Amino acid sequence: MPEARNGSGTALAARTRGLRKVYRGTVAVDGVDLEVPEGAVVGMLGPNGSGKTTTIRMLLGLVEPTEGEIELLGVPMPGSADRVLPHVGALVEGPGFHPFLSGRENLQRLAAAEPLLSGRELDGAVSAALERVGLAQAARRKYRAYSLGMKQRLGLASALLVPRRLVVLDEPTNGLDPAGTQEVRRIIAELHDHGVTVLVSSHLLAEVEATCTHVVVLNQGVVVAQGALDDLLESGSPTLLVSTPDGASAVDALRDHRIPARLAPDGVRVDITTTTPATVIETLVRAGARVDEARRERAGLEDAFARLTHDVGELVGELDPDEAEVVR
Amino acid sequence: MTARGPLAARETMAPDAAPVPPDVLPARRRAPIARLLRAEVRWIFRRPRTLVVLGLLVLLPVITGVAVDLTLSGAAPVDAGPPGGAPGAGGGPPIFVTMATSAFVLPLGSLMTLLMLMLPLTVAMAAGDALAGEQSHGALRGWLLAPVSRGRLLLVKTVGVLVVALVAAGLVVASGVVTGLVLAGTDGLVSMSGTELSVGGVLWRLAVAVAWATVYLMAVGAVALAISASTEHPMLVVVGVLGGLIVSVVLLQISALDWLHPYLLPSSLTSLVDLIRDPVSFDGLAEGAFRAVCYLVIGLSVAYARITTRDG
Repeated sequence: MPEARNGSGTALAARTRGLRKVYRGTVAVDGVDLEVPEGAVVGMLGPNGSGKTTTIRMLLGLVEPTEGEIELLGVPMPGSADRVLPHVGALVEGPGFHPFLSGRENLQRLAAAEPLLSGRELDGAVSAALERVGLAQAARRKYRAYSLGMKQRLGLASALLVPRRLVVLDEPTNGLDPAGTQEVRRIIAELHDHGVTVLVSSHLLAEVEATCTHVVVLNQGVVVAQGALDDLLESGSPTLLVSTPDGASAVDALRDHRIPARLAPDGVRVDITTTTPATVIETLVRAGARVDEARRERAGLEDAFARLTHDVGELVGELDPDEAEVVR
Repeated sequence: MTARGPLAARETMAPDAAPVPPDVLPARRRAPIARLLRAEVRWIFRRPRTLVVLGLLVLLPVITGVAVDLTLSGAAPVDAGPPGGAPGAGGGPPIFVTMATSAFVLPLGSLMTLLMLMLPLTVAMAAGDALAGEQSHGALRGWLLAPVSRGRLLLVKTVGVLVVALVAAGLVVASGVVTGLVLAGTDGLVSMSGTELSVGGVLWRLAVAVAWATVYLMAVGAVALAISASTEHPMLVVVGVLGGLIVSVVLLQISALDWLHPYLLPSSLTSLVDLIRDPVSFDGLAEGAFRAVCYLVIGLSVAYARITTRDG
């Protein structure tokens, strides 16, 4: 079977077409066309209840979609689950382990079910996975005694028991302290370096911005944007931030030349959709405004996210009121 | 750590230098079923709850044996006993003393008594933990994602419950035998028909009893697995199974409903008594086993239908 490719010819590690899931009359996910390019780190963003977890559960064959098609590593899901899933590591909806077993015993139980591990490799794979998430010291302690962060790490370890081609992580940094979050980022970066495709869902924007090459934004069960992170960030109107002590006269000068600008805390913010930075500087210098510094302002993911989701509403809970105001 | 060698090697070459070209997934591979069964059985017997209940099952025949022994030997010296304290003024006939605590009647009697509620409870608990309990911990997902197909998952869980049923019934009988041997030696190995039984004759009868009890308990277990596959609450499984058994027993008392009685699982229980007769009459036992197998097939079918359609 030929591997799925998107329009530009990139191989896709995961693809959905018209994915829809209805739970007792409630539409959880609707018309989702997801494309996860091979080798990418794709961040799945969205407020709580936007359909991230449902989409992931359908991708992995845990839930049957109401409608739509799914391809994972080039073969249909859930029909070929037994061929694909051994190559897919996943941490879904938090870690699920038995409290009366130690971390190591819990992993051994999961390793026993891994088709790609031979009997001789089991112990080594478990040790390596524990080592990798920094749990080697606590491996013999009962899972019951683990902190939230340690539980999350053990879940991560279970996704990394076998070298995978695709790793799916649902809210991997939940409950982790900053050091733990850093650790997860390091692991994701490591997987990326080895060419492993990573799909990571999060409602933490900074998280995604720091680790991902691609982004999918979900809101109310619908994909509102997806693509390379850089494209998404650039897609807002580009602005130039000019530091100048003569803010007021600078704004006037620019407006005289039909260049949209407004006052910023220590200078002016200029919209350069229809002009170039060079023209802006030239205009300012001619008008006698002193320019200390000028730099392109790159919109943060937070702005992009707000822009993408605010039309649909409901997102505001994720942003503080000031920022929501700016967006409008 | 010798085992880490090959793994480390695999990890450095993954995924580009994987043995198959990246475009082609290798044919399906499955974890060997024996490995899954071993992991399942280990998990069952690491669970504190299982161990507590099994411990209790070992203890009960001992308590019964010792209690009967004390009561009867306390009743024997009739002349010295205070009139209020001695139960059964005349005392039992000596043959009954030795028979009730014998290595034959004590295990069989204990098994019959415990099959009413205690053993079904044990099995229902195991079945409840097997699917509903795992699901509520989110631990079932781990195996489903490995992946273990749902049919194989049910197979592994069913074998797990079978092991619990067999071990539980076996422990009750073993504990009864040991207690009987300690209390009465090899005395009183007598059938209800009055014939002396050889040790071999006792052992095969007890083996049949354990096997039959296991089949009976698996009928309970299959129904429990069906409930377990439909809920996330292991307690619901236990309540459902015990409730069903209690209702069945009540219905068995109502003679106006005797047309219904052949369909009720606990109506088989009395046939275990046939093992004390000599020669053994197998009609009742066979009918009971057939009834249990019917429950087993229906229970497992429902469980399969539920587990293949439920959300993971």
